[in-house]
Amino acid sequence: MITAAATALLLAASLWLAAAAAGGLAERALGLRFATVLSTLGGASALVGGLLVAVHGAAAARTLGSGDLVGAVTLRVDPLAAVFVALLGLIALAIGLYAPRYHTPGGGTAWYTTVYNLGLLASLGVLVAGNATFFLVAWESMTVCSYLVVLRNHRRRGVARAAFLFLALGETGFALIVAAFAILAAHTGTLDLGLIAHRSSVVPAGWRDTVFVLALLGFGFKAGLVPFHIWLPEAHPAAPADGSAFLSGLVIALGVYGIALFGFQLLPQGPAWWGLLTLGLGALSAVVGVLYALMANDLKRFLAYSSIENIGIIVTALGAALVFGAYHHRELEAFLLIAGLYQLVNHGVYKTLLFLETGVVEHTTGTREMNALGGLVHRLPATAVISLIGTLGIAALPPLNGFVSEWLIFQGLFQGFRISNHLTGIVIVVAGASLALTGGLAITAFARGFGIPFLGMPRSRRAAEASERGQPIVGPGLLAAACVALGIGAPIVLTVLDRVARATTGTDIKARLLVPNLTVIPAHTGFSGFSPTYLAAYLACIAIVPVLIYLAGRPRARTRTVPVWDGGILAFTPRMQYTATTYANPTRVTFDAFYRPEFHVERASDDPAGRSGPVHYRFRVMPIFDRFLYAPVIRAVRWLADLIRPIQSGDVNLYLLYIFVVVIVVYLIYPF
Amino acid sequence: MTEQQQVEAELHERAVALFRRSLHIRTFDSGSCAVCESEIRLLSSPYYDLHRLGFFFTPAPRHADLLLVSGVAVRAADHALRKTFDAMPEPRIVVAVGACALGSVFTEDELVHGSVDAVLPVDVYVPGCPPSPLALLHGLLVAVGRLEEKVQAFRFDLRERNPA
Amino acid sequence: MIWFLRGLRRGVVTTRYPAHADPWAEALPTPPSFDPQKLTFELAERLAAACPAGALRRDGPDLVLDLAGCTGCGRCCEVGGEAVAASGSFELATHDRGSLLKRIPIGADRD
Repeated sequence: MITAAATALLLAASLWLAAAAAGGLAERALGLRFATVLSTLGGASALVGGLLVAVHGAAAARTLGSGDLVGAVTLRVDPLAAVFVALLGLIALAIGLYAPRYHTPGGGTAWYTTVYNLGLLASLGVLVAGNATFFLVAWESMTVCSYLVVLRNHRRRGVARAAFLFLALGETGFALIVAAFAILAAHTGTLDLGLIAHRSSVVPAGWRDTVFVLALLGFGFKAGLVPFHIWLPEAHPAAPADGSAFLSGLVIALGVYGIALFGFQLLPQGPAWWGLLTLGLGALSAVVGVLYALMANDLKRFLAYSSIENIGIIVTALGAALVFGAYHHRELEAFLLIAGLYQLVNHGVYKTLLFLETGVVEHTTGTREMNALGGLVHRLPATAVISLIGTLGIAALPPLNGFVSEWLIFQGLFQGFRISNHLTGIVIVVAGASLALTGGLAITAFARGFGIPFLGMPRSRRAAEASERGQPIVGPGLLAAACVALGIGAPIVLTVLDRVARATTGTDIKARLLVPNLTVIPAHTGFSGFSPTYLAAYLACIAIVPVLIYLAGRPRARTRTVPVWDGGILAFTPRMQYTATTYANPTRVTFDAFYRPEFHVERASDDPAGRSGPVHYRFRVMPIFDRFLYAPVIRAVRWLADLIRPIQSGDVNLYLLYIFVVVIVVYLIYPF
Repeated sequence: MTEQQQVEAELHERAVALFRRSLHIRTFDSGSCAVCESEIRLLSSPYYDLHRLGFFFTPAPRHADLLLVSGVAVRAADHALRKTFDAMPEPRIVVAVGACALGSVFTEDELVHGSVDAVLPVDVYVPGCPPSPLALLHGLLVAVGRLEEKVQAFRFDLRERNPA
Repeated sequence: MIWFLRGLRRGVVTTRYPAHADPWAEALPTPPSFDPQKLTFELAERLAAACPAGALRRDGPDLVLDLAGCTGCGRCCEVGGEAVAASGSFELATHDRGSLLKRIPIGADRD
């Protein structure tokens, strides 16, 4: 099975390379289709390969070039990475189906296709990397390719700045990751990831802590953990829709992969505070993400903040897994790892779906601003249905996939009482409460995110005239089907993830996870249980009952149809509806201390009776992290740079003096 | 009347009989001086007490059985009056209240219809300017068939008073 | 408790109307009642002119009273003297608009 998987992955890589090469053909429609077909096939291949490895449940590695040489390349298939590979494949597949109808053929699309496929290739490289150098090279390539993906529409305002922010923060994270790998390699004497994992006990405890924190922060920059997230809400709106989908569905997931790699494989059996730190950052990200999501009026910005929230949930699950592992609760460690990976896969699926549909909305109506949309369920019916499935998934409503994974995470956190240390127990409880708050706010946020653009009456002329002709449906539709399948088919997903967890943590909890009758239990019998499959079947069945009642009891009397009673007004106008801003207003008022908005009200005159004409009301949420964290850091760096600037005076004589001094110093030191 | 009309009339009567002790009234002011509204408002007071008869006011036409219209049916209120009437489920009763609604004050011109029965099918007319609450109660009870009409038998050509 | 038991015993909660005659009803303003023997054409014209609501008019041999338009102001009673008095009837609701037009024969000129 491993050879089959390796073949599939190799095929995927070659197909993506070919697609990148064929990207130049995308100046024509046929060339674009050809390149995207190659990309899609590569995605399918990667999906198959990833699933094969995950099901196989054991790692295998192969080195090209000799052993410990820096230039040697070790490729490794590992079940943990395989989950991410499968996700990569599915996302590439969906985007490949979506791209031909989204992009217009031309020069920009040509180099975008090339860069995007190279990004896919680089992501695959990160996931199959067996040694540190290959990992870092692939990681950096993936960052650069993603940067170029964001720059697709570089002539628009704000895109260049957003891409720069992405790159700058990505590179900062990269620096930390390099440091982490360097320290590990120095202490274990090898660059091979498998060997590092074996020899990790050699590393002294203080250095292990440092490495973990460096890795957590470094990968946190890429994953979008608060407070390293400020690039996300800028980069996602700037990128084209499928680029945003790629960023949000996969690139962020690679950050999580890095954290999982260090936490579970390279530095196993860490102390509890590692897990608590991870848990804390995750819970903070979840709450901050959803709070800002509620204030975002741009659809893509809203989804970007929602990604931050979901990554927070995933990282909370992984952190809790580390905590349970440190206290030797092996089953719960494996359980929470499974739950975190499940949530990650689900997020990849529904977030990609939502971003792709946002792209359709933007193309058909010309705007991403929620306050200008409305009534799109009539104009874009297929898009609306698919978006609804994605929204129900991300809002974690049964019986879809989001509900199953969030239920698993909550069940894992609830069992924090099994840990003897009280402080740890309290932290876990607070994290659980934060996730509960996040869940409630997420439902509000997504009721708003789906309801305002799709339901009601159109708030602008372009929204009233949108048409679905020629818009991509198959790609997002496939992801919607995946949402439903991942929810109903939870037993299958959990079987596969159990094998992954067994390979990663050494604990097999299949018997304590899936019991007969397709029921899932959270690693301990008698605690709780739930069957997603039967729930879905049950919901489908009871939905039939009201239909039958209606059909049987249909009134035989003559019925008269009249419009909805509206108080006798002349007509509803779109201005009478909720806007996105007002819908989120109760939340804004409740969390006023967090948002600290700035208000700006303009009116033509102070006439209180309203005769002065329209009143313009603007409010802006205070960007806490930009202002209080990054701005001081940037100021400090500038100050330091100003301090150092005199060295670079531009005077040749000064430079000659430098050379002279250095030569003297070297002559003095050299004998020693 | 044709047989169909007879059947419909009987059906309507039997349906209306359902309202005898439980009636929900929706008032509508189609352009009055608001004195009829004052008298209608007095019906809820403890002295006249509408509720002891099982009658209630409701703001929602969907819940209403009887539409109590006062005023001259100004054209500006057409849309709202029509919508209110349409929103009432059948069986429904329309009662026109006051001299204005009965057409005795204003004639039809470009601002008013002049009388409510130019716009809606009126079942019971309650004259008065304004009709006192006792007259209104009588009118409502006639509309649901609990009391008989008296005015047809009244004579205004005798020095003796008409029977109460 | 007594109220509850009373209600249970009585069954139906709504009351009969009218439970008894209203003692203040006599003070209500009501449409006029005429004595045909004391009416003349000339009096009829003066009564029609005196009515501020236009509810009275002479139509041939009859004085027509439009009950719908009458406000019960009593000016016709002042002008008519012995021929006119308040009728005391205020329960005038009807299904048929036409029955609100009452014809009073002007009898003094009839032999």
